[in-house]
Amino acid sequence: MKIDPITFAVVKNGLDSIADEMAYTVVRTARSEIVKDVMDFSAALCAADGQMVAQAKTIAQHLGAIPEAMESVLTAFADDLHDGDVVIMNDPYHGGMHLPDIFMFMPIFHDGVRRAFAVVICHHTDVGGRVPGSNASDSTEIYQEGLRMPPLKLYEQGRINRTLEKMIRINVRVPDRVLGDLAAQYAAAQVGRRGLEKLMQRYGADELEAYMQELLDYAERLTRQEILTWPRGTWRFTDHIDSDGFSDTPIPISVAITVRDDGTLAVDYAGSSPQVRGALNSTLSFTRSLTYLSVRCVLAKDIPNNVGLFRCVDVTAPEASILNPAMPGACAARALTGYRVFDAMLGALAQIVPDKVPAAGEGGNSVICISGLRPNREPFIIVDMICGAWGGRPDKDGLEAVTNASQNLSNMPVEVMEAEHPVRIEEYAFVTDSCGAGLYRGGVGIRRTYRILAPEALLQMRTDRVRFAPYGLAGGSPGGTSNNYMEVAGERRPLPGKITTSIRQDTVIVHEQAGAGGFGDPLERPPEAVLEDHLEGKISRDYAERFHAVVLTAAGALDRDATAALRAARGRARPVATAA
Amino acid sequence: MPEGGATAASKVAVDIGGTFTDIALATADGRIHQSKISSTPDDPSRAVIEGVAQLLAELGLDPAGVSEVMHGTTVGSNTILQRAGARTGLITTKGFRDVLEIGRIRMPDMFDLTWEKPKPLVPRRHRLEVAERIAADGSIVTPLDEAAVVAAGRALVAEGIEAIAIAFLNSYRNPVHEQRAEALLREAIPGLLVTSSCAVLPEIKEYERTSTTVVNAYLLAAMQRYLQRLETGLRGIGIAAPILVMTSNGGMLAAKAICEKPVLAVASGPAGGVIGAARLGEARGDRDVIVFDMGGTTAKAVIVEDGRPTMTSEYEFRDGISTSSRFVKAGGYMLKVPAIDIAEVGAGGGSIAGIDKGGLLVVGPQSAGAVPGPACYGLGNDRPTVTDANVVLGFINPSSLAGGRLGIDKALSEKAIAQHLAHPLGLDVADAAHGIRAVANANMARAVRAVTVERGRDPRDLTLMAFGGNGGVHAFDLARQLGIPTVVVPPLSGVFCSVGMLASDVEHIAMATVVRRLDRMEAAELAALQKGVAGEVDARLAADGYRPDRRAIVFEAELRHEGQASELTVPLDGDDLERLHERFAAEYFKTYGYHDTTPVELMKLRAIGRGLRDNRLDFADMKVAPRAGSSGGASRAVSFARGEPAVTVPIVGRDALGSVPRPGPLIVEEFDATVVVPPDATVHCDAIGCIVVEIAA
Repeated sequence: MKIDPITFAVVKNGLDSIADEMAYTVVRTARSEIVKDVMDFSAALCAADGQMVAQAKTIAQHLGAIPEAMESVLTAFADDLHDGDVVIMNDPYHGGMHLPDIFMFMPIFHDGVRRAFAVVICHHTDVGGRVPGSNASDSTEIYQEGLRMPPLKLYEQGRINRTLEKMIRINVRVPDRVLGDLAAQYAAAQVGRRGLEKLMQRYGADELEAYMQELLDYAERLTRQEILTWPRGTWRFTDHIDSDGFSDTPIPISVAITVRDDGTLAVDYAGSSPQVRGALNSTLSFTRSLTYLSVRCVLAKDIPNNVGLFRCVDVTAPEASILNPAMPGACAARALTGYRVFDAMLGALAQIVPDKVPAAGEGGNSVICISGLRPNREPFIIVDMICGAWGGRPDKDGLEAVTNASQNLSNMPVEVMEAEHPVRIEEYAFVTDSCGAGLYRGGVGIRRTYRILAPEALLQMRTDRVRFAPYGLAGGSPGGTSNNYMEVAGERRPLPGKITTSIRQDTVIVHEQAGAGGFGDPLERPPEAVLEDHLEGKISRDYAERFHAVVLTAAGALDRDATAALRAARGRARPVATAA
Repeated sequence: MPEGGATAASKVAVDIGGTFTDIALATADGRIHQSKISSTPDDPSRAVIEGVAQLLAELGLDPAGVSEVMHGTTVGSNTILQRAGARTGLITTKGFRDVLEIGRIRMPDMFDLTWEKPKPLVPRRHRLEVAERIAADGSIVTPLDEAAVVAAGRALVAEGIEAIAIAFLNSYRNPVHEQRAEALLREAIPGLLVTSSCAVLPEIKEYERTSTTVVNAYLLAAMQRYLQRLETGLRGIGIAAPILVMTSNGGMLAAKAICEKPVLAVASGPAGGVIGAARLGEARGDRDVIVFDMGGTTAKAVIVEDGRPTMTSEYEFRDGISTSSRFVKAGGYMLKVPAIDIAEVGAGGGSIAGIDKGGLLVVGPQSAGAVPGPACYGLGNDRPTVTDANVVLGFINPSSLAGGRLGIDKALSEKAIAQHLAHPLGLDVADAAHGIRAVANANMARAVRAVTVERGRDPRDLTLMAFGGNGGVHAFDLARQLGIPTVVVPPLSGVFCSVGMLASDVEHIAMATVVRRLDRMEAAELAALQKGVAGEVDARLAADGYRPDRRAIVFEAELRHEGQASELTVPLDGDDLERLHERFAAEYFKTYGYHDTTPVELMKLRAIGRGLRDNRLDFADMKVAPRAGSSGGASRAVSFARGEPAVTVPIVGRDALGSVPRPGPLIVEEFDATVVVPPDATVHCDAIGCIVVEIAA
C-alpha cells in the first residue's frame, strides 16, 4: 500500500487527538482529585498486536510500561478477546507499576477483526492494603499493599463482571471513588473506540493498520538517525535516594549508557542497589519506561513517542535489584525510584549531549497523604502531590512551579481540597534561597502547609532529597534540600523525609520541596540577574553574596564596587556590566 | 433612488485590523454599504471616526439616524501582546501571593526540556499579601486586616502601580472580604483601577480566578481609555447611538460592560467574521466550514461544525500560534472566559519578507501594517511584503487598491523584491515573488492544520470560507495544498468581519451556582432559580433599550454526577426535574458511552438573554450596494507558477458570474477584495452572491 503523506499526517495527528480526547474524558468523568485535578492518569492507543502507537499528553512515566502490560494481557487471553470485553490489571509483576495504577484495556474490533486497543491508566485513591491510599513507602511485601489483580475481564462482551466488581468494592476504602474512576476509564476507552471507528470508516481498517505500523517505523528511523550523530562509547552516572525509610542506608541508582554503531543504545543498571525492604522497588517494566522517556527528552521534539522509539533502547537491570525486583518486593512508592532513574539517566546523557541536558530538578513530586474519618465517620483520603522545579539549563535558567519533566502532573487547587476534605492550607509559596546557584540558576522549591481539621488523621509522607540534593552541572551548585516540619500547639519540630504517623486536630504539617540544581559557574551570573532574583524575593542578600559574590544594599540596590571587589577577591575577577 | 433617508435608522459595524479599518453599514432598506480605510495604530479610534463620517457623508445619511454602532476591537489582544497594559498589582490572602506564578504546574508538551514558562503579568514584588481568611464553607476564619489592605494599596501605588487585582481564597463562597477590600482601596486611593475576583469570575479554583482577574485589571486602563475616546469622537460627529462591543464568544455587549470586564473582549477582533461565516454557511446549507480570515497582519482559522463555531470555556493567550486546547494548558495567560477557538499566524498581506541568518527566506510575523504599509504604497517602507509579491505576479491590481482609493506603484514592489531578496538569493524577481507566496502559504496552512489535521479532522471534508482583504488571493493555493475541493468567498469579503457583526446578537448571560442534588430538589426551587437569573438578564436587556417583545431568554443547566469535576450542559425549559434528569442521562450516554446510576447534581443554571436587534442582517436576503471599484472587461498577465510563462487572465466583476460554472483562469476584482481563480478550477456565483471556486483534485 502506498503511504500518502497527507493521510499519514491526518492519521498521525488523528490518533494523538483521539488519545487526548480520551484523556479529556477521564478528567471530566472521574471522581477523585488525584485523577481530575492532579491528573495522575494516562491514555494511549495500541495496534492490534499491542504495540503502542499514540498517547495523550498525560503522564510520561506510565507510557513506557504499556508494552509489557499489553504483553501480559495478550498472554492471559490470547484468542479469548471479544468485542465488548474490557480487561483490567494492576499487578506490578504482570507488567503493572504499583497497585494503585489500574490499567484498562479495551480491544477494538472492525468487522469482527481485532484492530486496536484503547488503554487507560488511572492512579486510584485507594486499592486496600494496610494503609489508606495504598501508597505507603514502609510496606515490605506486595501482599501488604492492597488488592492485586492479574489481567481480568471487568466486562465480558459488554456485560460487567459483577464478581470482580464486588471483589473490588469490598477490598477498597473508598469504593465509590474507585468504581467511579473505573467508570471514567471505561468512558474514555469508549471515546477511543468511537474515534478509531471513525478513522477506520474514513480510511479503511487495513489502511489504518498500515499507517499505524508506518508510524512505528517512522519513529524508529528518526530515532536511529539522531542517535547516529552522537559520539560512540559508554557513559556512567550515579545518583541516590536518601533511604527506604527503614534504615539510613543511601540507595544508589547507577546507569551505564552505551551508544552503539547501529543507532541504538544499551542501558545497563548494574551497580544499582539490591532490592530494598521498603516499597521503593521498581519492576522492570517501570524501569524501562523511565529509561525510554529519558532518552526521548533529549531527542528532537517531532519524533513520535511510540514503540518504534522504544525499539532503539535495550534495557538491562540485575535480578532482585531495586530496578528489577523479585516477588514479593513491595512497589507502592516506586515512582520515587523512577524519578531517580530519570535523574541518573540525564546525568549520563549530559556527558553525551551536554547542550541538551539541564541540571537536576526537584527529584520528583512529593506525596503527602492525609487520611482519617470525618466527624460523621465517613472516611476521607487526600493524596496530594507537590511539584516541582527544573535545574538550570545550558542556555537559560531552570523553571519553578512546574511538573517534573518525567511526569505531567498538575496540582490540586487549594479551594478544591478544602471544599472536599477536612484540611486547611495555610501557605502555598516559593521557598526563598532553595535554588541551586549557577550562571543559569535552578528553580526554587515550593512550600505547602496543611492544618488538620479532622479530629485525628494518619499522615504518610514520601519525600526525598532531604540528604542528597539535586546535582548541579558544569560548575553549578546543587539545589537546596527538602525539609519537613510538624507544628503542634505552636511548637515546631523537624520530620524525616519518609514517615507514617498519627496526628491530631490542629496539627500543622509543613513540606518544603527541594530546589533545583544550577548550571554553570555562579560567579559568571550577571549581577543584574542576581539583583532581579533578589527583588523578586527568590534569593536573599546573603545568598547573593555567598554564591554569586554579588553585594546588594539593604535598600535592594546593586553595589557595583563592592561586587567587583568581592568577585576579584574570590579569584575570578569579572567585569561588572556598567549599564543599569 | 436616494440611499436611505435622513430619518431612517442605519446600523454601523466597524472592525479594526492591524492594517485596515473596515466598515459595514446597513440602511433601513436592507442594503449593506462598505468602506475601508487605513488603520491608525497610534489611536485606533481616529480611523473609526473618520471612516464612519466619510461613509455617512458619501451616502448622504444623517449621523443622528444611526441607531447602533457595533465594534470589534483588537485593543485587548494587542495590549497583552505588546505587554502594554497597566502596571498591575495583586493583593492576595496571606500565604498565597504565588498562586498566580505557580499556576497549574503542567507543561504544554511532554519531553520538552527547553520549554519556557510565561512570566506572570504581575511580578512577585508587586504581589502583596494581607491577613484574612474565608473557609471553604464561606465562614470567616480570620477577619480582614483593613489597615493592611490600605497599606498594601499605597505601597503598590508608590511603586507606580496603576491597577490592582484582588483575589482572596474561597471568595467564590463568600465575597465579603474582597468587596470590602475593593471599597477600602477605592476610598483611600481615588482614581485607582481596582478589580476583584468575585466580580470577574465567581468560581472555585484559585489560579483560574486569579489569572482571569489579573488580566482584567491589566486591560482596564487601555480599554476604558480607548472606548471613551471612541465614544467622544462618535458623539463629535453627531452619532448618539449606543456602542456595542463584540465579545470573544461572538456575542455583543454594551461598551460600558466591556469597560468593567475588558477580559471578555480579548479576542473581540476576529469574532465578527466567524459569526458571520457560521450564519452565512447556514444560509447556504453548508454547516461544516473552515473559516479562513486573512488580513494585512495575520491569518486566522476556525472550524464551524454543524453551524456553530467551536468554542472553548477557557483559553490561554499566548504569542505565536495561538491555539487553545481544551486539554493541554500552561502555554500562556489563562483566561477563564468563553471564546471562539481560533488559530492565528503572523502571515498577512503586510507581512515582511526577508532572509534569515541561515540564508532562508522568511515571511512575517513582522508586518509593515497600514503605515508605512507594503513597499508599493510608497509611504516609506522599502522592504518587500506579501502584497508586493502579489502585485508583481499580477494577482492583485497593479495600480490601485480599495476601489481606487489607494494608489500603488508596481515598480516599487519590484524594486523592493529585487533589492532585498532576488539579488541576494540570485533569483529573478518573479521567482523571488513566488518564494514569498510559497512561504506565506505554508504559514497559513499551519493555522488551518492546527484546527483540522491536528485535531483529527480531515480538511478535505470541509469547505474553505475565505475572506479578509487577502483571503480570496491566497485561498486557492491553500485549498490545493490541503486538498480542500471548494472555496467560498462571501460577498463583501474585504469587510466581512464587520458584516458578520451586523448578523450577531446582543447577548447577556446570568449564572447561578446551585450545587444541589436533583433528587433532593423541588420543582418550585428550580422555578425560583430560573426566575432569578432571568430577571438579571432581563434587566440588563431593558437597560440596553430592548423592549420586552425584543428580548429572548433561554436557559441552560450544567449537571454532573456527584463528585465529578466537570459538567455537561443541557437546555432547560420549564421546571420539570424529571425531564431535566432524563436529558442529562441521554447527553451523558451520548458523550461518554455508558449509563451512570450515581446521583446527579445541578451545578449551575444559566440564563442567556438575547436582545433581538431590529433588522438583524439575514444573509438569505442580503442586498449589497454597488460600489465603485468593481472593474471588468480588462485583463492582465498573471504568473501562476514559478518557471511557467505568465498567462493573460480576464478581470471581471462579481456580477459577471452566473450560476453556471465558468473555467479559470479568471480574476474577480471588487472594491474590497480580489478573488483569484486558477487555470484548473471553475467558478460560479451562488444564490446569495458568494463566489464559489471548485478546484480540480
